[in-house]
Amino acid sequence: MALALPAFFFPSQKPSLLSSHWLGGADLHSYQHQYRLLKTRKKPCVGASLSERGEYHSQRPPTPLLDTINFPIHMKNLSIKELKQLADELRSDIIFHVSETGGHLGSSLGVVELTVALHHAFNAPQDKILWDVGHQSYPHKILTGRRDKMPTLRQKNGLSGFTKRSESEYDSFGAGHSSTSISAALGMAVGRDLKGRKNNVIAVIGDGAMTAGQAYEAMNNAGYLDSDMIVILNDNNQVSLPTANLDGPIPPVGALSSALSRLQSSRPLRELREVAKGVTKQIGGSMHELAAKVDEYARGMISGSGSTLFEELGLYYIGPVDGHNMDDLVTILKEVKSTKTTGPVFIHVVTEKGRGYPYAERAADKYHGVAKFDPASGKQFKSSTKTQSYTKYFAEALMAEAEVDKDIVAIHAAMGGGTGLNYFVRRFPARCFDVGIAEQHAVTFAAGLACEGLKPFCAIYSSFLQRAYDQVIHDVDLQKLPVRFAMDRAGLVGADGPTHCGSFDVAYMACLPNMVVMAPSDEAELFHMVATAAAIDDRPSCFRYPRGNGVGVPLPARNKGVPLEVGKGRILIEGERVALLGYGAAVQACLAAASLVEQHGLKVTVADARFCKPLDRALVRSLAKSHEVLITVEEGSIGGFGSHVAQFMALDGLLDGATKWRPMVLPDGYIDHGSPADQLEEAGLTPYHIAATVFSILGQTREALEIMS
Amino acid sequence: MSFGVVPGSSNQALHVWPNHVPATRIGGGYRWRVAPRRREGSWSAGLSSSSFRTRAAVDERGFVTAKGSFYELLGISEGGSYDEIKKAYKQLARKYHPDVSPPDRTEEYTRRFIEVQEAYETLSDPGRRALYDRDLTRGLHLAFSTRKRFDEELEDRSGWRDCWQDQISELKRRSMNKDVGENLSWGAQMRRQRAESSIE
Repeated sequence: MALALPAFFFPSQKPSLLSSHWLGGADLHSYQHQYRLLKTRKKPCVGASLSERGEYHSQRPPTPLLDTINFPIHMKNLSIKELKQLADELRSDIIFHVSETGGHLGSSLGVVELTVALHHAFNAPQDKILWDVGHQSYPHKILTGRRDKMPTLRQKNGLSGFTKRSESEYDSFGAGHSSTSISAALGMAVGRDLKGRKNNVIAVIGDGAMTAGQAYEAMNNAGYLDSDMIVILNDNNQVSLPTANLDGPIPPVGALSSALSRLQSSRPLRELREVAKGVTKQIGGSMHELAAKVDEYARGMISGSGSTLFEELGLYYIGPVDGHNMDDLVTILKEVKSTKTTGPVFIHVVTEKGRGYPYAERAADKYHGVAKFDPASGKQFKSSTKTQSYTKYFAEALMAEAEVDKDIVAIHAAMGGGTGLNYFVRRFPARCFDVGIAEQHAVTFAAGLACEGLKPFCAIYSSFLQRAYDQVIHDVDLQKLPVRFAMDRAGLVGADGPTHCGSFDVAYMACLPNMVVMAPSDEAELFHMVATAAAIDDRPSCFRYPRGNGVGVPLPARNKGVPLEVGKGRILIEGERVALLGYGAAVQACLAAASLVEQHGLKVTVADARFCKPLDRALVRSLAKSHEVLITVEEGSIGGFGSHVAQFMALDGLLDGATKWRPMVLPDGYIDHGSPADQLEEAGLTPYHIAATVFSILGQTREALEIMS
Repeated sequence: MSFGVVPGSSNQALHVWPNHVPATRIGGGYRWRVAPRRREGSWSAGLSSSSFRTRAAVDERGFVTAKGSFYELLGISEGGSYDEIKKAYKQLARKYHPDVSPPDRTEEYTRRFIEVQEAYETLSDPGRRALYDRDLTRGLHLAFSTRKRFDEELEDRSGWRDCWQDQISELKRRSMNKDVGENLSWGAQMRRQRAESSIE
C-alpha cells in the first residue's frame, strides 16, 4: 500500500529523482503512474478533478529523512537536495497530523521551506527564532523534538497550537496575538548585547501582522538602536482572516499591501542596476562609492515607497525572495549570518499560504484554520448541530438592525470570518470596515464615526480588545461616545488556549464609568441585546458572548430583537433558600445545576442578571432578602460581575445580616488549551461544581460529595 | 485574442482591485503587460496548483485591452524605424488628443491617447524596445498556453535573485564601514565594547 506517492509532495522533481528513491519491488507500475501524473501536471487542465491526480495518505505517510531528524542539529549536514526532500516530507507530515487533530494548516504549509532553511542555517536554541502569532510554528515544532507529540496538538496537556516558552527551549517567545515578534526580538537582541553574548535573533512576521502599529513601533526602535537582528517578512498577500469573505478572496486591506506588491516587481530596478554597473565598469574601480550611492537612490526611486519605508526606519532591506526556493533561502540566510555588524536586516520572503496541498491552495480561505479533515479529499469533518454559532446569530441580529437603521455601521480588525461580519459585508458592503490587525485604530475610528452621528458596532474578540484598552477609556468612555462593542469569544475558548481566552472583559469594561455592560444568556437574548445596544445612543455599551453554539431557544421574529429595559434582569426559576445569579452564558450552567440540585430535593432560584452595569439593584436586593445564600456565577475573572454585586450589597447593608454571598469566577491562573468541557472542568464552573457549591454552603457536605463523584 | 481573459476563469478574474492605479496615470516605465504584478491567488481557475497562477488579462490600469501589440496600435510594422514610429505617434496623438476628440467619445479617445503615448515611449527608446520585442515574441503564444505565465513567473523570480544578490553584496560592503566614525548608534557602541573585551 502507500506507494502511489502523491505527485504534489514532490512538486519540482523530475521522474528520475522519484525513481531513485522509490523504485523497488513492484514499483514500476506506480513509478509509471507517478511519471504520468507529473507529466500531466505540467499542462494546465482547466477543471481537472483532484481525485484523478494523486492519492493522499489516510495513514501516516512515509518520511524516511524526517524520521532521522529529531532536533535541528541533525539537519546541519544535509545538502540542499536533501533539505528539499525534508521540506516535502515535512509538508506531508503536517497535512497528516493536522488532518487528525485540526488546527492552523495553511500558514504552516506556507513556511515549510523557510523553517527548514532557518534551522539549517542557524543554531537554535542558542539562536533565537521568534514566530509572530505562532500559528505557523507546526513545522518548527516537528523539527525541534516534538514530532511524537503532534497527535496531542491543541488538546488538554498536549502541544499548544502556538509557541510557548514553557513547552520547549526552542520556543523563544510565547505568542497568540499578532505583531509582537519584532518587539520581543529587539528586546532579546539588546539583552544579548548587554550580556555580551553572540547569538543571532530572528523574528518571522507575516504581512497581515505588519498592519499593526506595534510592528512599526518595534522597527522604528530597532533602526535607532541598530542592534544586530533579522526580521523576516513572510509575505503571502493575505492580510485579513480568514483570508476571504463568503464570495471569494479579499483584496488586501490597506495601502501597505500594494506597496509590498510593488516591491516584488524587480524589472525596472534591475535594468537601472545594469546601467549603473556598466557605468562603474567604464569609469573604473575608484568610482565604487559613487555607484553605491546611485544604487541607494535608485532603490528609493524605482521601488517606490516600499523598501524605502523599511530603509527609512533603519532596517536593511533584502528581497523579494522566493520563499519556496530552498537554494535561495539557505544562501541568503547563511550570507546574512556570516556578515558581522549588520544592524537590523529585513528580509522580504514571498510565500504562498497553503502551498503544497492543492485543496488549501485553491480554497478561498487557504485552509487557515481547519477541523479534522480527510487528506485525500480535503473535506473537513464538521459535526452538524441543531443551532448555529453565537457569531452567526450576532451577524444576523446586526443585519436586521441595519436594515431599519441606516446609521448602523460595523468595524472589525481583520477578522471578517471570526466575527461573522463577512455576512454583514455581503449585505451592506459600504457599511462594514476592515481596518487590518489594528484594534486600537478600530476603536478610535469608531469613536470618530460616532461623533458624526453614526452608530458603530465594533466587533472585536474579548482578548483582542485588550490591546485597545486605552482607546476604549480615553477616546470612547471618557467622551461618552456611543460606540457599541460586540465582544465575541468571551470566557474560555477551548483549543486556542489562554492567549485567546476572554476572561477579563467584564472586569475591564464594567469599571468604566459610562459603559453599559451586558451579557446574553442565550441566543434570543443576544438578538435583544444587539437591539438594546443599537438603541443606546447617549453612552458607550458592550455585550459579551461566548464561543460556541446557541442552546436552542426560539428566535425573535425576522431576527429583529426588542430593546431591553436597561438595568433590569430576570428571574428564570423561582425557588427558595439559595439564589443562583448568573451573568451571560453561565446562566445555562446555573440552570443545569438547578436541575441537579432538585434531584436532591432542593429547588433553588435561578436569575439572569443581564446587566452588570447598571446592575439590577432591585433584583439583587430582593434575592438577598429572600434567600439565605446568594451565589453569583460568571465565566470571567475576579473583579467582574461578582465584585460589582458584592460592592453594591456591601454599600446597601445587605451583607450585614444573615445573608451569605459567594462568588464563582474563573480561577486566578491561566487555563491551558483543551476542549471547552475540559477547561470548564479545570475552572470549576461546570453545573456539577455549582451544584456542589450550593450544598457545601448549606452545610450538606454529603450531597456535595455525591454530586462531585 | 492575444490578451483576452483566460478561458475558464470566472468573472472574478476581471475584478479591479481598489488599489489599482487610476486610468489617467501615464505610467513611467514599461508596464503595458498582460499580467499585473499583483498576485491574485489561485482561486481563479480550475488550474492545477502551486507554482503558477492564472492572471487576469487586466493591465495595471485596470481595464482590459483587447488590441494587439504596440506596433499594431501605432499601425506600423515590427521592424519599423524610429522615424516611422515618431510619425505614427504624432499622427495618432493628434487624432486622439482629448481636446480634439468628439464629445461623446472623449473617454475612449483619451484612453487611446494614453496607450499611444506609452507605445511611443517604449518603442522610441532602443533598450526598452528590445525588451518589449523579446516579450512580444513570447507574448504571441499567450492565448494558447500558460507556459508564458510559468516562464514569466520564473523570470520574475530569477529577476529577484539578481536583486537580492546585489543587496547581499551591498550589505557586506556596508558592514565593513558600519561601526567607524563618530556618533555611533547604541548597537555600534555595544559591538565595539564586545570586540574590545574579546581582544583583552
